[in-house]
Formats: sequence, C-alpha cells, structure tokens
Amino acid sequence: MAASTAPLEVVCHSVGKTYPGDVEAVAPLDLQIAPGQTTALVGPSGCGKSTLLRMIAGLETPTTGSIEIGGRSPAETAKDARLALAFQDPSLLPWRTVRGNIELALTLTRQELDDDRIDSLIRLVGLAGFADTRPAALSGGMRQRAAIARALVTEPSLLLLDEPFGAVDELTRQQLARELPAVWEARGTTTVLVTHSVTEAVALSDRIIVLSPRPAHIVADIAVDLPRPRAAELSRTPEFAVIVDEVLQALTAAKSATAAPPAER
Amino acid sequence: MSAVSVRARRLTTAATARADRNQTLSIVAGVIILLVAWELAARALTDAFVLAGPIDIAVYIAQNASLIGRALAVTLGNAAAGFLLGNVAAMLLAGVAVLWPRSRTIVTGAGLLVFCLPLVATGPILRVVLGPGPGPQIALAALAVYYTTLIPLLVGLKAAPSTWFDLVRSYGRGRYAALVHVRARASLPYLFAGLQIAAPAAFLGAMVGEFTGAESGLGVLTIRASRALDVELTWAVATVATLVSLLAYVAIGAIAKALLRDRPPVILATAPEPLGRGRRALRVGIDLAIVTGLVLLAWWAALEALGLNAFFAKRPGDILDALLLAPDAEQTRATLFTALGETAVFVLPGYLAGLLLGAGLAVVFILVPAIAGTAMAFALALRSIPIVTTAPLVTLLLGREALGTIVLVAVMVFFPTLIACLHGLRQAPGQVMDVLDSYAAGPVQRLVRVRIPAMLPAFFAAARMSVPAAVLAVTVVEWLATGNGIGSLMALSASLSDYDMLWSSVVIVSVLAVAGYALVGAIEARVLRTYAPEQGT
Repeated sequence: MAASTAPLEVVCHSVGKTYPGDVEAVAPLDLQIAPGQTTALVGPSGCGKSTLLRMIAGLETPTTGSIEIGGRSPAETAKDARLALAFQDPSLLPWRTVRGNIELALTLTRQELDDDRIDSLIRLVGLAGFADTRPAALSGGMRQRAAIARALVTEPSLLLLDEPFGAVDELTRQQLARELPAVWEARGTTTVLVTHSVTEAVALSDRIIVLSPRPAHIVADIAVDLPRPRAAELSRTPEFAVIVDEVLQALTAAKSATAAPPAER
Repeated sequence: MSAVSVRARRLTTAATARADRNQTLSIVAGVIILLVAWELAARALTDAFVLAGPIDIAVYIAQNASLIGRALAVTLGNAAAGFLLGNVAAMLLAGVAVLWPRSRTIVTGAGLLVFCLPLVATGPILRVVLGPGPGPQIALAALAVYYTTLIPLLVGLKAAPSTWFDLVRSYGRGRYAALVHVRARASLPYLFAGLQIAAPAAFLGAMVGEFTGAESGLGVLTIRASRALDVELTWAVATVATLVSLLAYVAIGAIAKALLRDRPPVILATAPEPLGRGRRALRVGIDLAIVTGLVLLAWWAALEALGLNAFFAKRPGDILDALLLAPDAEQTRATLFTALGETAVFVLPGYLAGLLLGAGLAVVFILVPAIAGTAMAFALALRSIPIVTTAPLVTLLLGREALGTIVLVAVMVFFPTLIACLHGLRQAPGQVMDVLDSYAAGPVQRLVRVRIPAMLPAFFAAARMSVPAAVLAVTVVEWLATGNGIGSLMALSASLSDYDMLWSSVVIVSVLAVAGYALVGAIEARVLRTYAPEQGT
C-alpha cells in the first residue's frame, strides 16, 4: 500500500529547463502549489507547460533549480507511488483489457490487486460493462476514461494531468470535462492540469498559472473563486466570463510582448 | 458508439478473411501451375539427367520413405535444438542490450561478427572441437538463426510509444519493469517475424553442419547423392528440405496469427541511434575497439578453457604469425588472396544481380498489381527454402562453371531483397500519394517520385543482411561443387589439417564480410540522408 494519501504541496525553486542546442523551454520560475488545490497551467502551444509538468513528474530533470513535493524530490515521490500521470494520448497497453490496464498501475506500484476498488472506479468513470474490453474496441472518449481510472487507482497524493481530455471531438471533450473531475475532486488530491483550453481551466481549477510563449515564464497567477461543486451552468454565469476574460487578456499580452525579439535571455 | 466500432471491426475482420482466402486460392493456383511446368520441363529434359519431375520425385520419396524419413528425423532434431539455442541466445542478448543501452552497439557488433563467420570453415573446426556427435550441426543451426532473430527483436523492443515508458517511470519503476511490462509484449510481433525466418535458417544450418562429416541426416544424403550423381535422390532431398522449411514457416506464422491480433511487421532495418556527428564517429571508433578486443579475448579464452592443443586450436597470435611474421607468411597470403580473388569474381556479380533483380521485380509487381498478390505469396514461401541445400541442384542444372555459382549467390540475395523492397514500396506515405493523384500523376511518376525513395531504407537493409548470406552461398558452392575459391581452400585446409590456413581464412572472410556490411551501411547512410531524411540520421 502507498504510505499515505494525504495531498502534497509542490514547490518549484527557480526551476528552468534548457535542452541541448540552447533551446530554452522553461525560464527559471518559482511556483508554490498548495496541497489539495487544482492548479491549471495555461499557455500557447509549445510554450513549455508540458515540460514543466514532466519535471514535476520526475520524467525530466531541471537544468536549473529544484522541485520539492512534500519536501522530497520528484523521483522519490514517484518511487513511493504517490504521484500519477494521465496524458493526452491515453497510452493504454493494447494487449490488456480496461481492467488489465488499471491493474498495471497497481502492479507497477507493487500494490495488491483490489477487485472491488477497480470495479467501483470503472463504474465511477462510466465504463461499467467494459471492464473486459480491449482498448481497440473502445471509442476515444472511453479510452480517456480508462486512462483516468488507471491514474486514480493508486490513490495518488499528486495527480498530474497533461491535456487529460485528449484528442477527442469537442462534444466528447465537454462531456468528459463535465463528468470526470468529480471523480478526483472528491478525493481532495493536489492536481496539476496542463491545458490550452481557457474555459476548461476555469471550470476545473482553483488557480490558473498563465505562461508566456517559450521559454515559459509566469505572466499571470489568477485565483478562481467559484463555488464547488461546479455545475455545468456555471460556465454561463458572468463571474465565469470575467475570469475567462482575465486569462485571455493575460495570454494575449504575453504573446504580443514576446512578438518583439527578446531583449535578454 | 462502441456498437459502431465493434461492427466496423467485424467488417474489417470479414474483409481480411476474404482477402486471406483469395490469397490462399491464388497460391494454390500458382503451385499447380508451377508443378505442371516443372513436370513438362522434366519430360523435355529427360535425357539430360539433370532434372527430375514432381511425379518421379514423389514416387522416389514414397519408395525410399524409411531412408529419407530417418534422415529427416535426425536433421529435424538437430535443427530444432539449434533453433531453440540460437533464439534463446538472441533473446538474452536483446535483453542485455535493452537493460544496458550502452552495450547495444557492442552486442550487435559482436553478433554481426559471429554471424559473418563462414560456416564452411567453422563447421570443420566445430567438428574437431565437439566430436562426431550432433554438436556441430546444432551449433551451426544456432549460429544461423540467432542474428536474424536478434535484429527484429531489438527493433521490436523499442517499438512502443514513449508515453508507455513515461507511465512506468512515473510510478518510480525503471528499465527492468519497462522490459517486463511493456517491451516484452510489444516486441512479440517482431519476435515472431524473426522466428519465422529463423525456422528455415535453422534447417539450413543443420544441413550445412551435416555436410561437415555427420553420420546421418539429410545433409549426409545430399553429399552422397551429389557424389553419385543420383539425380532423383538430390531432387528428393531438396524437395523434402523445402517442404519441411515451408511447413515450419507457415506453422510459426499461424501461431503468431492465433496469439497476436496485430499484423506481423516486416522489419529488416535498424535505424542508427541519433547522435551528434563528431561524437558519433568517436563512439563508433570506441565501440569498434571494444568489440574487437572482446572478440579476441573470447576467442583466446574459449580455446584455453576447452584446453585444445595448439596444433589444431590457433590463437589470435598464431594467426598474426601465420599471416605476417612466419617465413612462409608471404606464400600463405598469396594463396589466400588468390582464392579470394577467384571468389570475388563469382560473389560480386551474383550479389549485385540478386539485388537488382529483387528490387526490379518488386517494382514490376507494384506497376502490375494483378500479378502482385500471387507473386508476393510465392516470394514469401520461397523465402523459406533453404537455398544453399539446393546448391547441388543448381550446379546440376547450370554446370560447375561460373554461371551456376553466380546464379546461386544471386538467388540467395534475391528473395530477401524482393520481400523487403515490396514492403518498402507499399510503405509510400498515403498523403503524399494523394497529392500526386491530385496532379493526375501517372504510375511511373508516382513510382519515381514517391515509391522508390520510400523503398530505399528496406532495400539497403536487405542489401546489408545479404552480405553474409552471399558469402555463405558462394563458399558452400565452391566447397561442394566448383572446387575453387576461398570455400574450396577452407575445405581443403580442413581435410589436410592445415589449421593455420583454415583459421586465417575464417578471420579474413569474417573481417571482409563485416567490412562489406559496413560499406553497404555507409552507402545507405549517405543515400538515406538525401532521399529519405526522416529514415536516416
């Protein structure tokens, strides 16, 4: 079993990433993510927001600065099986069924296979009746649901979501964004969400970090003080529109500021 | 939603089944045509004593069923043991290369060198080391298969999206977990593709092993038949060897189909690792030095460990002596180079002709799709024929002169090239083809502008893998039939116990084969940089 499921705090100390060939993906930045909150990283395509997420997941090492998750390094957090990741591509193993893919997360974290927990998760993400189906026979939206179930089955203390509603059509995407967050929000897990959809960010998060075009630095830090649980109707309220507008303005300002050649690196 | 996709799946399955049935029908039709043509040719040539028709062969096999059956059982047992050993070795090596990525080039480099050892010479050496039993046959069968399994397996072990590995790492697990949970299963289609080619190769290896002085087996029958100019026995053995190889090939294909849903890949190429250019040259140099050192060390250590006497078991130092320092070194070198020169005259035209014919026929098949289905099925089946075991037939048909040897080398190179090129031609990117369609480009335009460039990586992969195959073919023919060149020199040295010469030939031939492989690889890198930049590095 994982040692503890208490939500974790994420602290980035002047974290930056420069790839070989002097490609600076993330400019050194400071960021503190409070335990139990959902934080969205928003920015234009290719700005380095996924790189930041991958560094928090321990998949890439920062070239400057350091990251602490509950006082420990990302690699140690991963070893303790306390973080989970879901990608834009659901990345299900095609030879395993939905249940088999969820079980893989438990196997990899050396936990016991708990059939009840798996069954209830499958129901929660809306895949009842598809437990023994292979990914090839599922629709794109159903695969994303299975990937979310896999990420949640280890009861992580830190949930990292990279465009979790993936490359599916707009209606499916909206439906997933309406149904799935309830599954993890109920657990109070610290969640970091990467998205380029502003409305999705506002609807899901407590706080939005707006990043500039590459190299990413923080251009705005916007609190989302909307009531939870958030109903679908919330997106038609003026309060919602105000925050969306604020994020969009920050994005536009960041883009035009970097359209001119940067004065310094 | 899911109902629709399930139904779509069923429809495609039905379509695949129908296509498979059509292909089976066209194969059956093709086989019948071939048999009739063969029988007619045999009747026309009945006085020449070179060709036995299928009816005569069937009658002969039926009449001598117990003789051929006993020989087949022996060879089959040796081939199966070698198949098992060679493939287990390949899997272990591939596992090592994946768990320690730095060892990859060393594993493949040493693997290539061992694969390039001329069986004609290693056979007699193994015969002395392992004694009169089935040891050499099994060892040669294993040597014939491990490399053709190792290469697709190495590709297959990497053939998974990077996010699968990210997933494993995000749970704090490392290479070993990735190997067990992701790579092993993802590589299965590639493993089976390799095993399919390995089955006939193991049979071939076992037969070549039997050529070196076994007591029983199909290889022994082949030698006996060709010495006695027994046309019917020669053809009967070749027919049985072909049928058994074909069956093994088909059976492994059927097992793969039953176990795996994914279509089997046809993979021959290993794309070189992307590295900076300067660093790459340095790294290749270091790896080359490591591989050479390791091989020399392994060679010396194996002989010491086996406690073999110095008269027979030559160490690296002895070879250096024989080739450079001894008083008769100049004469040794002269003999070797004369033989190599004789061989080059056969192997180079045969190799090039095989490559050109393979690529050319592949292009024809693509331009005339009507014949491609049947032809492809045939080519796949023919790939499984242990071609070297038909050496006596080719010399029977075409004589012991240059033509027979060149044809055999060409045939050996031809089949893998044809298969690889057909696969490559079909890989032409659909969107680019659509663009050409929108300009109403004709079939020739499409071929020149899109398909041939798309074919090049597969062509070069086949060209590289064909280098050791061509060496094997030419040495076996020289040994069994023509009696000149390096193959004959090796056989002669073995029977005269001139072990300095035998070991020297092994070293020279292996180094030349590796050099030929590297040369084709270098040309490949240059051409691919221009024509298929996404495939080269």
